[in-house]
Amino acid sequence: MDPIVTCRGLSKTFGKGELAVHALRDIDLDIMPGEIATLAGPSGSGKTTLLNMIGALDEPTSGEVTVDGQPLGGLSRSQLSDLRLSKIGFVFQSYNLIPVLSARENIEFVLQLQGVSAAERHDRAMEAIKEVGLSGLEDRRPGKMSGGQQQRVAVARALVSRPAVVLADEPTANLDSKNALALVELMRSLNREHGTTFLIGTHDVRVLEQSMRHIEMLDGRIDRDARGSA
Amino acid sequence: MIDGLKTMLPLAWRNLWRNPRRTGITLIVVAIGLWSILFFSAFMNAWAKSSKETTLQLLLGSGQIHAEGYMDDPSIETLMDPPDRDLNSALDAPAVADWTTRVVVPGVVQSEYKTLPATIVGVDPAAEARISSIPGRITEGRYLDSSDDDSAVLGLHMVERLKTGLGRRVILMSQNAEGAMSEQSFDVVGIYDADKATEDLYVFTGRAASQRFLGLEGEIAQVVFVLQEETALEDAVAALAEAAPALDVRGWKDLNLFLASMDSYMGVFVHVWLSIVFALMAIGIVNTQLMAVFERTQEFGLLRALGMKPRRVLVMVTIENALLIGIGVLLGMVLAAVTIWSLSDGIDFSAFARAMEMVQTGEIIYLKYEPGAFILFPGLIWLLGILVTLWPALRASKCRPVEAMRRET
Ligand SMILES: Nc1ncnc2c1ncn2[C@@H]1O[C@H](COP(=O)(O)OP(=O)(O)O)[C@@H](O)[C@H]1O
Ligand SMILES: [Mg+2]
Repeated sequence: MDPIVTCRGLSKTFGKGELAVHALRDIDLDIMPGEIATLAGPSGSGKTTLLNMIGALDEPTSGEVTVDGQPLGGLSRSQLSDLRLSKIGFVFQSYNLIPVLSARENIEFVLQLQGVSAAERHDRAMEAIKEVGLSGLEDRRPGKMSGGQQQRVAVARALVSRPAVVLADEPTANLDSKNALALVELMRSLNREHGTTFLIGTHDVRVLEQSMRHIEMLDGRIDRDARGSA
Repeated sequence: MIDGLKTMLPLAWRNLWRNPRRTGITLIVVAIGLWSILFFSAFMNAWAKSSKETTLQLLLGSGQIHAEGYMDDPSIETLMDPPDRDLNSALDAPAVADWTTRVVVPGVVQSEYKTLPATIVGVDPAAEARISSIPGRITEGRYLDSSDDDSAVLGLHMVERLKTGLGRRVILMSQNAEGAMSEQSFDVVGIYDADKATEDLYVFTGRAASQRFLGLEGEIAQVVFVLQEETALEDAVAALAEAAPALDVRGWKDLNLFLASMDSYMGVFVHVWLSIVFALMAIGIVNTQLMAVFERTQEFGLLRALGMKPRRVLVMVTIENALLIGIGVLLGMVLAAVTIWSLSDGIDFSAFARAMEMVQTGEIIYLKYEPGAFILFPGLIWLLGILVTLWPALRASKCRPVEAMRRET
């Protein structure tokens, strides 16, 4: 089976000269379809930077990222937008929902960018809402939902476009234990049912316990990469 | 694309009300800016119109007919005969509302204290009252009662300068038909109140009386006519010129060049004002919108991260700006319409008009709602507003997707 994400010789340096920060140093990584992989490691070890590179949010200093067979190098801003839209789902620590849109509208927003018809958008968004257990709350705006509920909407938004991989950066960091656990459960069940691939940057043990593959980062390098039982 | 617009419009609309303070400031800036432009243009036009009408009604009329050469050298030697049959019938045409003839010669007026230059005007009081506003501006005494009336009507300011008054006598002097000086004493029977320049210049007496005083045999200096329709001026002048090919027929635009240029000056004033107001408005709007974009960097980053293309972000922000400025423009239009409507009964400028004295401003200015201005200026402000906010919108579209990852919310 071909990996869904590959990184080859990936490096990222912020700043220049004396002040240069080597956030990533020569990373080689493959993520296989259907995996739940966690990126762990101390703060500043490069987890977010790596997720940004894989998510085509930022450009590496050197090396190459391929997502679902598509090399990112040399793509224009507009082409990268299309790639994110069709192949990548994001879940952020601070939820990042559009505050003026309801839960359903937030989920539909991505489909709308994809040019999906209104009727289909509606149906798919409602199904996604059901799947993340928020039926009945579809017309609420983010401001009227708890953190746990907002993060579920964010997961629904990330999944509704059927991406090749979902990238989540510290998705549980703002949640209490109960909600954090529920979110992890949700991601696991989505993974089981749809085979969705997750790459999660976290140091939350509740998340780490549920993952099948532990990648540990240290000083911009992969320190340990272990497949284990969940 | 249509589908995209249909969904972006409500999003833009809701985004507008997320920061009521900022939206409010922009709305107020646009509304007040547009209001000032509409009000200023209505006021300037009303003022110009009022000045023009006042000046035309004072003495000028819609136009005048003189002997060839009189305009260059208005004197006893360049007079004309009263209208012949052809000219008479042309003046009786329906386009001409009224007309009369005057004797107008340079001279001096003298009291016990002072001698001043003056223009002596001999009028037919009955016809003059239908053409000129001066017979209606008598503040003391009376106007002349017939063409044979050999008394004098003087302006208020000239009376003050001569230190004369009602019931006193003044001496008028002018060159007569023989080339000698005529000199005669006249009773001051009336004092009129106009602007200072007019008051200081014109002394009125009966037309037949002035002809006797100057030794004339029916000659006159000018025919003054007033038209039914101001718009028919050129046609009317052409018709009269055809009826009197030997005479010099002119519309008011060729008699009072300052007045004629006023119309175009008004246009220039209004556009200068428009530019100033717009520049200030643009600075205000661009500033607030740049700040807004700066505050919303993470949000635009998110849209980019979710896969929105830069161009689409630009369109979305531009729709927001178009809505915002559009609402401000509507507010400004309502504000201006209400102001103009509430002032349409007239603004009393009599005190101001006396103080100014330089142009014959009407004492009361009537603002009029002009549909043309209410389409042109709002449309212009709206389009220009959208144009300048393209800059902040472009900044928004350049927000980097990685900004979405920032921790702070
Ligand atoms: N935009 C940036 N400019 C400069 N340095 C950065 C930037 N982003 C991250 N870094 C640095 O890169 C290193 C890795 O950061 P990050 O990927 O955020 O680590 P983690 O997510 O594991 O905490 C840190 O030293 C951080 O300070
Ligand atoms: Mg991080």
